[in-house]
Amino acid sequence: MQIRQSRAARLGASLVLAAAALVPAVAPVAAADPVVLRVGTTQDLDSSNPFNTYLVVGYEAFQLTWDLLVGFDKDAKPAPGFADSWTRDADRITFHIRDGMQWSDGQPATSADACYSWGLALDAIKAESYVGYGYLDPGVKDAGVTKIECPDASTMVVSTTDQSDRIFQVYVPILPKHVYGAFDYVKIADDSDKKFDAPLIGTGPYTLAEWKTGQYARFVRNPHYWGPQGFEDEVVIQFFGNSDTMVQALKSGEIDYARGVNAEQFRQLSSDPSYVAVQGKANGWTQLAFNTYGTGTGKEIKGGGPSTKALLDPAFRDALGYAVDRQALVDKVLGGYGDTGDTIVPPVLSEWHVTPDKPRTFDIEVAKQKLADAGYVLDGSGKRLDKEGQPITLRLYMPNSDDNYPKAAQFIKAWYGQLGIEVITKVMDSAALGSIILPSDGKAKYDIELWGWAGNPDPNALLQIFRCDAIDSTSDSQYCNKDYDALYDLQLTQAGAERQATLAQMQNLIYNEAPYDILFYDANLDVYRTDRFAGWQNQPADGTPLFTYGTQGYTLLTDATAQPEPTEAPSAAPSTPEPGATAAPATPAPTPAASGDGSGDGGKLGGSSLLIVGGIAAVVAVAFIALVISRRDRKPDEDDE
Amino acid sequence: MTAGYVLRKVAQSIVTIAAIILLLFVMFRAMPGSPDRAIRNPHFTQQQQEDLRARYGLDRPLIPDQLVVYIESTLSGDLGYSIKYAGRPVIEVVAEAAGPTVLLLGIAEVLAIVIGMALGSIAGWHRGGWVDRLGGGLALVFYSMPYFVVGMPLIIVFAAGLGWFPTSGMTTPGGSSDPVTWLLDLGRHLVLPVTAVTLGLLGAYSILMRSSIIDTRTEDYVTTARAKGLADGRILRTHAFPNAMLPMVTQIAINLGWVVGGAITAEVVFNWPGIGTLTVAALDRRDYPLLQGIFLLVAVSVVLFNLLADLVYGYLDPRVRS
Repeated sequence: MQIRQSRAARLGASLVLAAAALVPAVAPVAAADPVVLRVGTTQDLDSSNPFNTYLVVGYEAFQLTWDLLVGFDKDAKPAPGFADSWTRDADRITFHIRDGMQWSDGQPATSADACYSWGLALDAIKAESYVGYGYLDPGVKDAGVTKIECPDASTMVVSTTDQSDRIFQVYVPILPKHVYGAFDYVKIADDSDKKFDAPLIGTGPYTLAEWKTGQYARFVRNPHYWGPQGFEDEVVIQFFGNSDTMVQALKSGEIDYARGVNAEQFRQLSSDPSYVAVQGKANGWTQLAFNTYGTGTGKEIKGGGPSTKALLDPAFRDALGYAVDRQALVDKVLGGYGDTGDTIVPPVLSEWHVTPDKPRTFDIEVAKQKLADAGYVLDGSGKRLDKEGQPITLRLYMPNSDDNYPKAAQFIKAWYGQLGIEVITKVMDSAALGSIILPSDGKAKYDIELWGWAGNPDPNALLQIFRCDAIDSTSDSQYCNKDYDALYDLQLTQAGAERQATLAQMQNLIYNEAPYDILFYDANLDVYRTDRFAGWQNQPADGTPLFTYGTQGYTLLTDATAQPEPTEAPSAAPSTPEPGATAAPATPAPTPAASGDGSGDGGKLGGSSLLIVGGIAAVVAVAFIALVISRRDRKPDEDDE
Repeated sequence: MTAGYVLRKVAQSIVTIAAIILLLFVMFRAMPGSPDRAIRNPHFTQQQQEDLRARYGLDRPLIPDQLVVYIESTLSGDLGYSIKYAGRPVIEVVAEAAGPTVLLLGIAEVLAIVIGMALGSIAGWHRGGWVDRLGGGLALVFYSMPYFVVGMPLIIVFAAGLGWFPTSGMTTPGGSSDPVTWLLDLGRHLVLPVTAVTLGLLGAYSILMRSSIIDTRTEDYVTTARAKGLADGRILRTHAFPNAMLPMVTQIAINLGWVVGGAITAEVVFNWPGIGTLTVAALDRRDYPLLQGIFLLVAVSVVLFNLLADLVYGYLDPRVRS
């Protein structure tokens, strides 16, 4: 008995010791020497091979490590990258490669590396193929590149078929030829030989040193970087399974920057002076894509396609457009963070975006009248009939990748319902929906798809989706119009005002024909702390500091504690975006009462957090009281036992 | 225990695993969607779609081609390459995630077993006492809660609020390579997820143990022990507890089998890089080879631990062997 007691005592003592060893270790575990910028995102890096990633976080990772030939400045305009200058002579562009530049391993970086890297893409294009997932080489193709030459170590000459600025927006990382030179465009995308395992060799400001699947990627300062460097010695991008945990990590100071919080989290953090919340305009949209299969081709799918021919009628789709209150969607679905949608070039591409010549405004009565005028009448029970006399019931499908989709769908269902059109909604995962919309795969058995797209610095990627040859690959409206295709081909050969005019025509054509109803242009909601790093710069002015074009934001950061304005820091950190971004009319006023903090350390328990904790405490208290009462009632029974 | 009994059980396990291998192939391919459809690239052409299918081996007929390749390679220990984590062998990706999961769930299981049995024994022995009411009630509440409901408040209070522990992850990125510092760092990261999972698991053990102890309380040998004038605590430890353990063996073995399967919601909330989060990622991307690898590992583990339970049970209770 005594032995047992002492064993138990020893066990208890060792547990206490173990706990004591753990709790005081709260101080940062990592050696305090390197300054580490910690960035959180809800995406999980899929590959360190630039050709095999299709995620924003993958682009961020490879751009930190490798330069593009031409980079991006604070306005997202062309800026020196691997090449420090260039001259244009009609269809020949001569790039000058920076003298004395070195790879992170100290080897000289020359035009041979640039020719090798662009050559991978060009070889694939010539073979009518692509590299990896086919995301990067279309940039070279779109720029009309026909030939690349590197006559000497500091010169790269590119010949193109057009004179557009797309040549300066090519997203091909310049890889070290002395490391990867043996791989052609097929082998470079084959990762089975682990050629892109960390540590990697680059000319970017930081190089990938460590990648823990599903946890983080750690980048260390490139000692040979050619440009000005940021205050941070290391950049760690941490991957979070959900934004709730990410926000808690931001509050505890484990991360300095959170990419992609939700509207509620954004609103809460906006009102706290410890953080800067930035609403960046996203280069993309959320749309209703109508299944117009057969438009322009006359084709039909046996046992598939849209459930009613009404969807092939532009007048029908036009009428539906009047039944959607886009401002209500922005306010109620996006929580005010976003812009109402119209044309297929997002406003963030301000050089090319136009508003429609004949805009549709929300008016259910107009929608009803237009439907009736187009021959879609109501039956006795209030159901809208198509021209075949059948009641119209539309299948609206959406992926489960965004909580906003089902919310928006409920509004659409209600509005269309007022027109006498029933809507059946269904949420499925992206892979399943991706199959359904393909005529060859899922027989395009849907009527409306609610989903979104994100584009490149050039609008071409988004414009391609509406081409006839996109059917059975990227087209989710199954729309085909030879006039549109002709305009697309024409704009490929144009630049400046000419191209602007053609793009305006294309945007209006799609808006008027309405295979798409663009509901809203989404916003990127990012939040960062200001206690450790200063010098945050939105890129462009209505964008966000990180996860933009290039990685300039990382090189501009400075030491926040070195600034001689400790008490003024919060006021210098506006909770609303910079002037350019406040132009968004939907930015709601911050709710001052949302945070119940005020403590010196930034009030780490925010409003909703306090509610949760308070709620749990209340439940426990009630349970305890109930227990005491029930115990008191039962006392006599127990005595009987 | 006879050799026949052991052989029968082992044979049953082998047949079960073979059936599972077949089922896995059918199960994931029966799901709507396909890995080549999970990528949404505005540049994609029809040719690229077809090439991508070929790259993943999806262009060949499901039966027999894909099935034969799958069975051949699985039997030879080659689980193929992950689609999501482009080009990385499935075995490598799964092995990387299995360690953290076994660590988290393993510790939590042991703690839950020890605390759960202690709580259950005391609650059952002193039925209606305060341990029974408070402990039993709370155990039931935590048992019925998903891990994230327990986990999120823990993060809000102890990580973001008090700053005692990290909110998530397994180690501090770029942390020290010194083994002691590294272990302490790992320990700090483990506290909250282990607490959440332990709380979630211990209900099952304590409830089972409680009812088992209550059954033994009225047994003749306990009455005899009382008549002999033995102390109450001693009767519990030496007479009631060992006999009440029998049903626990099955429960423990089954639960241990599931350890490698991870606790999906707990891992997602705490960003624990284990099998649970890997499963979510693989499902999202329709990564057939990776899904097959994960489920095969879990299935084999469950079958093996069940086999172990059968054998141990056979050893402990002679009636089972016949």
